[in-house]
Amino acid sequence: MELTTTWYLVLGAIIFAIGASGLMIRRNPLVMFMCVELMLNAVNLTFVAFGRELDDLGGQVSVFFVLVVAAAEVVIGLAIIVAIMRHRSGATADDLSVLRG
Amino acid sequence: MFFAQVAPDSIVTPDIAWTALVPHLVLAGGAILMLMVWSLAGRWLPRWLPSMVTAAVGLGAAIGSIHLWRRVTDADRGPFSAVADSVGIDGFSVFLTVVISLTVVFAALLADGYLRRERLDGPEYHVLLLLSAAGGVTMATANDLIVLFLGLEILSLAVYVLAGYHNRRAQSQEAAIKYFVLGAFSSAFLLYGIALTYGATGSTNLVDINAYLRSTVLVDDGLLLAGFALLLVGLGFKVSAVPFHTWTPDVYQGSPTPVVAFMASGVKAAGFAALLRVFVVTFGTYADDWKPILYALAVATLLVGAILAVVQNDVKRMLAYSSISHAGFMLIGVHAASADGTASVLYYLAVYSVLVIGSFAVVGVVSGTGDGATTVGDFAGLGARRPWLAFAFTVFLLAQAGVPLTTGFFAKFYAITAAVDGRSWALAIVAMLSAVIAAYLYLRIMIAMWLEGSDDDAPIRVPVGTVVVLGVAAAFTIGFGIFPEPIVDLARDATPALVNSP
Amino acid sequence: MPPVLLAEASFPVIPAMVLTPLVGAVAVALLPRGRARMAQPLAVLFAVVTGAISVWILGDFDTADAGFQFVSEQGWVDALGISWFAGIDGISLFLVVLSGLLFPLAMVAVDPGHDHKAYFAWLLVLEAGCIGVFVALDLFMFFVFFEIVLVPMYFLIGKWGHEDREYAATKFFLYTMFGSALMLVGIVSLVVLHAQGADVDLTFNLVEIAETQALATNSARLIWATFALAFAVKVPMFPVHTWLPDAHTEAPTAGSVILAGVMLKMGTYGFLRFGLYLFPEASTTFAPLMITLGTIGIVYGAVVATMQRDLKRLVAYSSIAHLGFIVLGTFALNTEGIDGGLLQMVNHGISTGALFLLVGFIYERRHTREISELGGLQKSAPLLAGVFVLVMLSSIGLPGLNGFVGEFLVLVGAFNAHRWWAVIAATGVILAALYLLWAYQRVFHGRADGENETMPDLRFKEGLVLAPFVVAIVFLGVYPKPVIERMEPAVDRLVAHIETFVDDFDEPVADDGAGTGFDDIEVEEHDAEEGAADAGTPTEAAEGGAD
Repeated sequence: MELTTTWYLVLGAIIFAIGASGLMIRRNPLVMFMCVELMLNAVNLTFVAFGRELDDLGGQVSVFFVLVVAAAEVVIGLAIIVAIMRHRSGATADDLSVLRG
Repeated sequence: MFFAQVAPDSIVTPDIAWTALVPHLVLAGGAILMLMVWSLAGRWLPRWLPSMVTAAVGLGAAIGSIHLWRRVTDADRGPFSAVADSVGIDGFSVFLTVVISLTVVFAALLADGYLRRERLDGPEYHVLLLLSAAGGVTMATANDLIVLFLGLEILSLAVYVLAGYHNRRAQSQEAAIKYFVLGAFSSAFLLYGIALTYGATGSTNLVDINAYLRSTVLVDDGLLLAGFALLLVGLGFKVSAVPFHTWTPDVYQGSPTPVVAFMASGVKAAGFAALLRVFVVTFGTYADDWKPILYALAVATLLVGAILAVVQNDVKRMLAYSSISHAGFMLIGVHAASADGTASVLYYLAVYSVLVIGSFAVVGVVSGTGDGATTVGDFAGLGARRPWLAFAFTVFLLAQAGVPLTTGFFAKFYAITAAVDGRSWALAIVAMLSAVIAAYLYLRIMIAMWLEGSDDDAPIRVPVGTVVVLGVAAAFTIGFGIFPEPIVDLARDATPALVNSP
Repeated sequence: MPPVLLAEASFPVIPAMVLTPLVGAVAVALLPRGRARMAQPLAVLFAVVTGAISVWILGDFDTADAGFQFVSEQGWVDALGISWFAGIDGISLFLVVLSGLLFPLAMVAVDPGHDHKAYFAWLLVLEAGCIGVFVALDLFMFFVFFEIVLVPMYFLIGKWGHEDREYAATKFFLYTMFGSALMLVGIVSLVVLHAQGADVDLTFNLVEIAETQALATNSARLIWATFALAFAVKVPMFPVHTWLPDAHTEAPTAGSVILAGVMLKMGTYGFLRFGLYLFPEASTTFAPLMITLGTIGIVYGAVVATMQRDLKRLVAYSSIAHLGFIVLGTFALNTEGIDGGLLQMVNHGISTGALFLLVGFIYERRHTREISELGGLQKSAPLLAGVFVLVMLSSIGLPGLNGFVGEFLVLVGAFNAHRWWAVIAATGVILAALYLLWAYQRVFHGRADGENETMPDLRFKEGLVLAPFVVAIVFLGVYPKPVIERMEPAVDRLVAHIETFVDDFDEPVADDGAGTGFDDIEVEEHDAEEGAADAGTPTEAAEGGAD
């Protein structure tokens, strides 16, 4: 059996879906960040697969941009978590419920 | 030859039209310079300086766009590409650049008094504000999906931090984390949409995608349509379209008020810039495919925003839901997918930015130290305590309700015109009904301000920066409400275009 | 069809009329806090200047000209074909004059009690808006003024009104805004479809759109419906009238006077100018519906008014009945009916305005509007009672007073068009006599006890305010000719316009051509004067009214 581009695309879609559902289900902020990472890397896989399929450099180049952005996002996200933890230790997303209408 | 080996001909650096990047450079450069100067010499600098510098930088970026406007509206020269086909300068991008830059000016002036009252003063707020604006301007000028994504991330990352800037308020922290998680979630969707579009069309460059879609009939367009859907989800989050709006009320309520003013104006403008450029301009040939979705989004956004706004008791939440409803009006213009539709969105963005900044300016001073007093009851008797403040707020509220002789009315009128022109009467009627529903909310605040008494006689301090913002915003709202022509003409001239470098 | 005459004005009187109150509003609002006492005289000054301009317009009006006069035109938003385009013809003339004269009187008549500056500033803004509605010949401009009047009225009711003012003000605002919201869609659709149908650029010019009639029948009907909803709410017609009793009851006296005298006319005027003129075909098609609703309004208003215990609410419901007459006349679609409707607009403005003033005066003295708590006021306040009788009889439609001429013409017009509806409407006249006279009897007759006994009579200032109303009531009753002869050319042209554009429509006139016109009115003058002379006792006047 030969692994065609479609396989990679499907794999990307599955990982993306795992990330998205994890983000919605899990309540630990750190796990939620990991899920975001999962989603972004699923997209990276898709980009690379398409780049290979189209024989175009753009797909691979895009991945670099996404990697940088993902790193920056984690930095910001962790900083926000740290700021919250300083006030309330052991917080989960369910504890964040001051804001409601 | 030695040199030939080290520098092979195959690597070509693109021509960069540096003059076209003046707004980007001024905003980003200003931010970095400010960070450096204040970390080295901050303790010797007066506390009011950061906001003045930021306002000056914002103003500089706006002024720096004027020569671009002359150039792109000149019939002989027209729109052009600034960097390797991926940053385009056209009337559309220049118009939005000016709008975003001016929202920075306002947000900086508002922040001065606010940050000092909350003992949060320092350059960081302003640096983040400028960086975020640089991202917004990048989004407005992006001619490549990846550049668009980068702009969006620069914008968003800075605003995530700004949302949590009030580090002693639990609500602010909570707003930051909520905004961050949902923002990252939506960015991932946007990115996935970009990837699928790339796969379907073979390029991330909007000019190439547009040319490809025009020249090629896709036999199997499932990939492309999936890309549309994901892009729409990603951008829908940014412009808080229903059903992707859930973060808006929480984040608006929790974030520091000047930040909210910027979120509802500058950030929204950048989001709509992307939405218009990607869907209306680039995917214009596929309008029949995405218009029904946008129709549904617009109807839901209009109605849900207006109805949920009415049942709120917190003014910041009310304004959050009302901003959702206003986004619905802008979505009407996007849905029209016509020159008038685009112009109506631009006009709406320009005048709504001023309105919403003015509104949050009032909320920011009424909320008092701690930024917590934002229920309707806290506005009771404002007309007696601070008549001019209440008057300004009344102007903004009436304009948001769409009362004639204010900019808000003409904005709604223009959106309706775009809808009717596209034969979407039902959409126009839904829009007007939602305007009536939302009017109740504005009336509630006005009743509290003018018709109810209050025994709270704590003085409301209005800082100078806020006075300036309120004065300019109110004068703008009434002045251009009576004579809308200049801004209408600008919005109509601000046509988007997709061109490659020659 | 000859092209519409557009007589330019030598002096921009219309902009002057709209701007004077606006400038006045700003001036009043900017008075220093210590000089708040100056607010009333200053506001009255500006209102009087406006009124003087309106009287000058009345004098300078060319009676023979059926087109628009004093036209002023100025580009506004050229890209979308929006302009400032204003003019006055026989249809709007008297409404403009009515607005110009009612406002200063309402300002002089009552003192708001608190926040004088804001009160008078809002009244002046309201005046500018009202006049703007009646002179606008550009659809956009019309909508702007039609909608802007909500804001001052909202604040007038909400801040200076009675107990339930917040509720009434909000209801008023949302109701009328709902009506006009759909009209905005209608206006834009009309303009867009007109531009497509006639293959021209977008234009909001009323005359151009009305004289071209480029719309398909179905679209015109749908758009007419959006206009009709807005006007029906404003009039207000049954069944969208429910905001009116609340707004009237809770509004301060001046607010009620203006609301009844001027603002309700925006709806009926809208039906003429933007209903019949813009959509002749749709208007003729839906005329039976409108007549039905108008007639229901007449009877319903009268019946409900009979049951009211609150004097002000009673007058409010009587307004619904009177406006039913105006709608009936308008949609009779013949010269008599429309003439009568127009005249009735003016009459209703005068007599109901005066009634609200009188009720306001009573309220100021007794702090109640409950009919059951009043009684025997005739003894303590004979002058007030006398004026009340006269105004009430005019409202009932007693021959010789102004109300009669209008109602008579309406009934003649309606009789020629839809015989049976006219008969039902005529019962409304009888009911009007019933509820007003009954109310009069309960309030002014009988034994005065408690505070009723010592209630002071009209003051000099109040008498001065009421005098013009009394003069107008009598003058228009015995000699309506100058008014009718100025209205008629424009009304004739409107009817001819409908005949031109609606294929199978002919003006409904009497079979033998006799028994119509206002010549008859003058014959009946003598009885009328006698009737008025001994109308002191209710029973006699009731018979006179039912004639």
